[in-house]
Amino acid sequence: MATVEPIIRCSSLEKHYERGGETVRVLEKLDLTITRGQFVALMGPSGSGKTTLLNLLAGIDRPTAGGLVVDGQDITTLSRAALAHWRARSVGYIFQLYHLVPVLTAYENVELPLYVHNISRRERHRRVCEALESVSISDRHAHYPSQLSGGQEQRVAIARAIVTQPSLLLADEPTGDLDRASAAGIMELLGRLHREHGQTIVMVTHDPATAVHAQRTVHLDKGRLVEPHGVAS
Amino acid sequence: MIGAREASGIVTLAWRGLRRRPTRTGLVIAGIAVAIFLVCTVDAMSSGVKRATRAAAGETALVVYRQNRFCPFTSQLPQSYEQDIRNIPGVSTVTPVKIVVSNCRASLDVVTFRGVPAEDFARDHATETSPEAMKAWLSRSDAALLGPELAARRRLVGGDRFTAAGVDAFVAGVIESDTPQDQSSAFVHLSFLQEQLKRGGTGTVVTQFDVRVTDPARLEEVATAIDAHFAADQSPTTTRAETAHVARAATDVIALVGFAELLGLAGLAAVFALVANAIVLSMRSREREVSILQTLGFTRLHLALLVVTEAVLLGGIGGVIGALASYFTIAFVRTAMTMEGVSIAVPPSAFIAVLGVGLAMALSLAAGIVPAIIASRQSIVAGFRS
Repeated sequence: MATVEPIIRCSSLEKHYERGGETVRVLEKLDLTITRGQFVALMGPSGSGKTTLLNLLAGIDRPTAGGLVVDGQDITTLSRAALAHWRARSVGYIFQLYHLVPVLTAYENVELPLYVHNISRRERHRRVCEALESVSISDRHAHYPSQLSGGQEQRVAIARAIVTQPSLLLADEPTGDLDRASAAGIMELLGRLHREHGQTIVMVTHDPATAVHAQRTVHLDKGRLVEPHGVAS
Repeated sequence: MIGAREASGIVTLAWRGLRRRPTRTGLVIAGIAVAIFLVCTVDAMSSGVKRATRAAAGETALVVYRQNRFCPFTSQLPQSYEQDIRNIPGVSTVTPVKIVVSNCRASLDVVTFRGVPAEDFARDHATETSPEAMKAWLSRSDAALLGPELAARRRLVGGDRFTAAGVDAFVAGVIESDTPQDQSSAFVHLSFLQEQLKRGGTGTVVTQFDVRVTDPARLEEVATAIDAHFAADQSPTTTRAETAHVARAATDVIALVGFAELLGLAGLAAVFALVANAIVLSMRSREREVSILQTLGFTRLHLALLVVTEAVLLGGIGGVIGALASYFTIAFVRTAMTMEGVSIAVPPSAFIAVLGVGLAMALSLAAGIVPAIIASRQSIVAGFRS
């Protein structure tokens, strides 16, 4: 069950890029709190800063200014190596285009994040099997990404994201490249992970039909939060 | 730092990456194998030359040759010189030798007949020859004892007959000798060889005298004394240490091997360039994969280790294939470079094979460092945009 403990706290978060001698302000003074166990949809038009915010939450990009505490850790102060270790422990990331490694099987793709965890081969095997089982793709474990459908690839990507049992699951348009039936299956799966395991999920989506699966919807426009107060509803 | 389990995982991942890209991996490994084959083979030739021509501290062997003559066919010395040389202070033993070669020029398959007095040979080579073979050799005037390289190259064993340079001989056995000049030689009775050739007067002319001195420190002194003794004779001599004699005769081969060593260095440069190019191209096409790994928590060290491991595996596998191919080719072909009657064996060497593998791995490691640094410094977001 969701608790009121915050897992994400953004305060005056800003992200600017320099492009052609001009400063592009992607995120502006963003304040947002997400509590542990919530399923949040981030919506907004293209260029509103959704994916940039997701990248900052994942620690794969750094904010220009402001505070960002995720899972009790101020990730703006971490070194590159510490941030990588933190990502390995705390974050699971699901990409719109799955981003599976083409030369690895489904099993090996799911196993990938566990290589940087100091665990035994047996434990690794147990966790991979469990993750594949939980996304109902065990029967395709020996298939390469090119031998899987889009929906199956995304299931493998979800298994890879949850295999480390992260406290935060981030999904960037997880159904954006799928047909309606596959998209429904993926959203059902994410909903189940949230309901059964109390998994905190932050999902970027364009699609209101996808966003309805979330408990809370946060709207971004031109790098600013549109949702009143940015607090859990 | 990273733990043993993480390191083992990185090696597994690197190996899978190579195995699942068989065309690229196969081509790079083939290139490395060819280069290391070249390096090891040239190195084996070079080490054979060094072994045959480098003067040893305890060297006691001198070769007395006809002055200003460079070929066994033209070096003719009266056999009567034997007693004169024996009387020079510092001389331990003197063996008159008649040499006949199947080919006087540089060649990879030359038979060198060495006609030697039976009693001298039996005394000097007793420990290198089985009693049965020695007995057979002493009992037959047309018998030959073969050097191990010659026997292996021509597939000859005791009881066979063979003909070379117009000499037909019976194989009494094979000697077990490490001496370079013995490797491609067929030792026959001096009188037999002189009779066979009918050149220069039967029983009176030899090609050279092999001399042993009592003290290595007196090698130069004895050589000078021998040449001084015959300086005014009708057949003046030039006496050199055996290794110097080989080095003089093998001047052309040494020059060729020196040039071949440059080819060997080019082979090493090729290994470096091949691995560096393969890894750089591979990483350029895998920028997104690097970003995925970074997103999953791989640190700079993990990524650098992954790239370097791939490079070292490529170098190691290519190196092993190339070094083994070189070792077994040399062992099977049993080549000996022979010129003007002196032989330089090209022996297969496990040390050179191991060195070849080590060089391939070290160069691959070096070639992987820059791509590893580039990959480890890649921006995650930029990698996804590529």
